[in-house]
Amino acid sequence: MASLLEFIKEKHRTTPLWIKALAPVLLLGGLAVFAVTGAVTAFVITAWLGQPIPVLGFDQTVKQPIAFPHTIHAGTGLFPSTGLPGQFIDGLEMDCTFCHRTVTSQANAGVPPVALCSYCHKVIGPEENPELAKLRKAAGLTEEDPSPINWKRVHRLPDHVRFVHEPHIRYLTQHPSEIRNAAPGVNQLSEALPSQVCSTCHGDVASMLEVKQVEALKMGQCVDCHRENEAPTDCTVCHH
Amino acid sequence: MTTEVFGKHKWGMVVDVDRCTGCQACVLACQVENNVPLNTQERYERARGMAWIRVERYWEGEFPDVKARFIPILCQHCENAPCEPVCPVFATYHNPEGMNVQIYNRCVGTRYCANGCPYIVRFFNYWEPVWPESFRNHLNPDVTVRSRGIMEKCSFCMQRIRRGVRNAAKENRELEDGEIQTACQQACPTDALVFGDIDPDNNRTNPGRAYSMINDDRAYTLLPRLNTDPNVIYLAKVDPDREGGAGGH
Repeated sequence: MASLLEFIKEKHRTTPLWIKALAPVLLLGGLAVFAVTGAVTAFVITAWLGQPIPVLGFDQTVKQPIAFPHTIHAGTGLFPSTGLPGQFIDGLEMDCTFCHRTVTSQANAGVPPVALCSYCHKVIGPEENPELAKLRKAAGLTEEDPSPINWKRVHRLPDHVRFVHEPHIRYLTQHPSEIRNAAPGVNQLSEALPSQVCSTCHGDVASMLEVKQVEALKMGQCVDCHRENEAPTDCTVCHH
Repeated sequence: MTTEVFGKHKWGMVVDVDRCTGCQACVLACQVENNVPLNTQERYERARGMAWIRVERYWEGEFPDVKARFIPILCQHCENAPCEPVCPVFATYHNPEGMNVQIYNRCVGTRYCANGCPYIVRFFNYWEPVWPESFRNHLNPDVTVRSRGIMEKCSFCMQRIRRGVRNAAKENRELEDGEIQTACQQACPTDALVFGDIDPDNNRTNPGRAYSMINDDRAYTLLPRLNTDPNVIYLAKVDPDREGGAGGH
């Protein structure tokens, strides 16, 4: 830096003035290029190995058409209402399988139909809550025509992977010691409930106001877990 | 408590050529089940049509005593498959269930395997598969849609095998013979295709239908001189008029 200043301040005019003016710009530009390249490389490497650095909207959360709080439905304790700021509601501790009904029998966990929501929300919940108003409109409980809710998918696997929930839930309920990110005490049970095993891949959804993907869900994780539990690791088990 | 057991079975198919009427129902069923791209006349003219199972037709005899012979050809799932050792990325290999499998996400599209296959049952996606708008919701969600530039072939309806094995494990029982049906077998009106476990050890106490057919007098395999040892066994046509034809039926 000192030599650069000397170079700029030099009295005898052997170097043209425009080069002197450009020298600090070039230096700063070089540093900026270096920083940007480093940041991009760091992003690519983290995304390759696991979850990308949460910048530029890569924080794995998705804005849902209705701000549905998993906290109030599945959580334990007091949680803020998403529709009415300032209000707190006691968590209902509902079982995951109450809404995601096909998770124990089929490939897909299943998003509940609006009818299941309106079964409770016909009566429960204040009318001034704007998020519930959206739901009641979608369910056809208002004067307006019902319309489907386009829930956004959070956990998406590539098209060449065929994941089936049912055998995973079945195995983990019978082997609770293999459950990861489990609530305290679950690993010591002799048999777990289906809703206690979800945390292995999905994290603690009951404490998330906006559901986000906590595990990278890369093939390495699948294969590691399959090897530890002596599950088949043939390609065709998942890729067909 | 049961977990899915892998590698216990050895899958195979018996094709009774005598029963085949050449109706092409298997071809259509396969196309629908496995998301096989639609063919056009232009693709057939360039020998790039795709059909995981096809019915070949041969004419026998001179007019007016002419007879049409039909033989369904699908991937033979060879034990000594010529397509397997040539793949540079191990996208095709022999799995523990005795099947020759194609892993689409590994394939880089060298087409060596298709060049090596003597039965011409491997198909390369020369184009991005495009379905008409009305077909989009008819795709099978259990089967990967193959994109342009990769090889595909008959998988013995792998998704149905996995589903059958999974259901048996869920209900804590052994897999029954004939429980898993391939799409072509299910569509065949004359029951010419029989899919099942052909491992001798699994058929010792209670022989399955496919296993009891592979020891038939009429049984033969395609191109036996190449020593590919296929898992698809054909039963010869019964024809009393034919000289040297299979007798006794």
